[in-house]
Amino acid sequence: MSRSITYNSSPLLASPTPVWRSKFIVAAIALAFVGLAGRAVYIQVIENDFFQRQGEVRFARTLALPANRGRILDRNGVILASSIPVPSIWAIPEDVDRDPANLKKLAKLLGMSLVDLNKKLHDEDKTFVWLKRQVDESAGKEIEALKIKGVYQRKEYKRQYPEGEAAAHVVGFTNVEDLGQEGMELTFNTELGGRNGSRRVIKDRMGRVVEAVGEQIAPVDGRDLQLSIDSKVQFFAYQTLKEAVLLHKAKAGSVVVLDVQTGEVLALANYPSYVPDKRQNLSGEQLRNRALTDSFEPGSTMKPFIIGLAMDTGRVTAQTAIQTAPGRMSIGNSTISDSHPHSMLSVTEVIQKSSNVGTVKIAMQMPAREMWEMFSSVGFGQKPQVPFPGAVSGRLRPYKNWRPIEQATMSYGYGLSVSLMQLAHAYTVFGREGDLVPLSMLKVSVPLVGQPVFKGKVARDVRHMLHLVTGPGGTAPKAQTMGYSVGGKTGTAHKQEGRGYASKRYRGVFAGLAPIDAPRIAVAVMIDEPSNGKYFGGDTAAPVFSKTVQQTLRVLGIAPDMTVVPQVVSELVEESF
Amino acid sequence: MMRMNLVLLVGLVLSALYLVNVQYESRHLFSELDRARALAHKLEVENERLQVEKRAQATSARIESLAKSRLHMRAANPAITTYVTYTPSAADASDARAPANPLSVGRVK
Repeated sequence: MSRSITYNSSPLLASPTPVWRSKFIVAAIALAFVGLAGRAVYIQVIENDFFQRQGEVRFARTLALPANRGRILDRNGVILASSIPVPSIWAIPEDVDRDPANLKKLAKLLGMSLVDLNKKLHDEDKTFVWLKRQVDESAGKEIEALKIKGVYQRKEYKRQYPEGEAAAHVVGFTNVEDLGQEGMELTFNTELGGRNGSRRVIKDRMGRVVEAVGEQIAPVDGRDLQLSIDSKVQFFAYQTLKEAVLLHKAKAGSVVVLDVQTGEVLALANYPSYVPDKRQNLSGEQLRNRALTDSFEPGSTMKPFIIGLAMDTGRVTAQTAIQTAPGRMSIGNSTISDSHPHSMLSVTEVIQKSSNVGTVKIAMQMPAREMWEMFSSVGFGQKPQVPFPGAVSGRLRPYKNWRPIEQATMSYGYGLSVSLMQLAHAYTVFGREGDLVPLSMLKVSVPLVGQPVFKGKVARDVRHMLHLVTGPGGTAPKAQTMGYSVGGKTGTAHKQEGRGYASKRYRGVFAGLAPIDAPRIAVAVMIDEPSNGKYFGGDTAAPVFSKTVQQTLRVLGIAPDMTVVPQVVSELVEESF
Repeated sequence: MMRMNLVLLVGLVLSALYLVNVQYESRHLFSELDRARALAHKLEVENERLQVEKRAQATSARIESLAKSRLHMRAANPAITTYVTYTPSAADASDARAPANPLSVGRVK
């Protein structure tokens, strides 16, 4: 195949150009390659990290995966609070298209004046301005339809409270950042709030995610919180309370409904209240969860505890006769009197007629320490174990400094203070076999063992006395309710004003149990400063108790324990011509 | 030998092109998946929103006011209620399968 011709040396091929030129070209190209290789080494090895980073900045993005805040549910799974993403409107002032007609429409949709809107857009140096956070879904859509340049939307979680003002004090609310500010939202903020996750992705130039890089940190949603509240009971309690406060032209009112068997709070309502979604003009009056943050002198509602203690220690029985004539007695320089003088009363009647003199006579037989211990064991002077922000402990002074007159006044509810929640809780002692179970705002599923306070028989006897209070000859016949037997005790206390008592300002209280033979609920009602003529607890608070008991027992599906005359028309009688 | 190399070269080129194609496919599918996930999330949120709205339309306050004003109803009380004693029988075997609370809500996970 090969012939021995040496082409290289053929004279025909001898180039007229000098050899060094081709060598120079080769050398130059080689040098260029070396340059390239050097650059490659520089990029790939020496400054690799820097270029990697720069590249990633251009296409990799870290996306936040927002966690849902847990919902708040009532005992039956009804939503009391839930977070929904809603549009928030923001703008880049510099880019905003300042067409007056469009801006006017925008201002209207945002619910602000054009002047305010222009003020927000005034500062052109800013690159980000919230126009309005958390607007309605429909308004968001309309704003989007306006297509104003430089105005954008972002989804933010907003808390929704379907039950509105009825459950406002229990549930509380969150701020614009979805963090709890009041009520259960604040108490269980950590549990409700989840942990945001994140993931790293590669996006193409259209902004589409094309690849996930590395590990994804999954968001942890907040836990749903199931309260012990029953939304129906809560509503009825709020409704009746509101009606009563308005009827009696009172300053405020509270009602607490407890499940006697489990210590669960079925309802906790205060009036005035507020709508959690609209908090623009909130006053402290509306915000106050009075049932827990206000303590007051409980007045006569304390008497059953004194009688209970006296019977428990065997000092008296239900039939022991007490002389209360002439309706007044002196202790030291002070005089204690009954509003209506009675003569000889049995212990049962002392409760039924709410005799101060009778109660004091029984109380003075007991050492201060025993009274103090009993008050403490039913929870007075201690913070209730409900996890509410701002719950007060009330006032119960140590027994060592009690003067006799103080011990006497305390027996009928002056000189110590309790919150309505504490009062309702204490009354569950009579509803049970004399023991006290802890309160709970969350649904209780396990059976509870209570701390004994009184003997079972004492609790039953006191229950009977409480029943008589609501019967004929008692102080609170208005507490009766159709179909269910009830029992309770009224209290009417002068309000404290500075160091003394206001003569014309009262607080009507009623605390009671139903059905009285086998109590299921304890209800406490407080009406603050009724000023429409009636002020006795039996006239102001007892009717609220009656209606609340009626509705609560019906909602809980408890059959009436008293016979009622049925008004049911079971058969249609044909009319005759 | 030469032919073998050629076959391998063609194979290599084809494989390389296939790799590019697969990469493209995978990114395409991933973005589809991502969009589907976003849609799922959006629907979940929508579901939650509608649940809340449903609840807001069915609160005791609204029902009571509507029942009173529009339907002229009044609250039940024991006097106008007939109580029947409940005895478990064959009849509620069929009931037992029905959900206990048709209004109960569940969050779609």
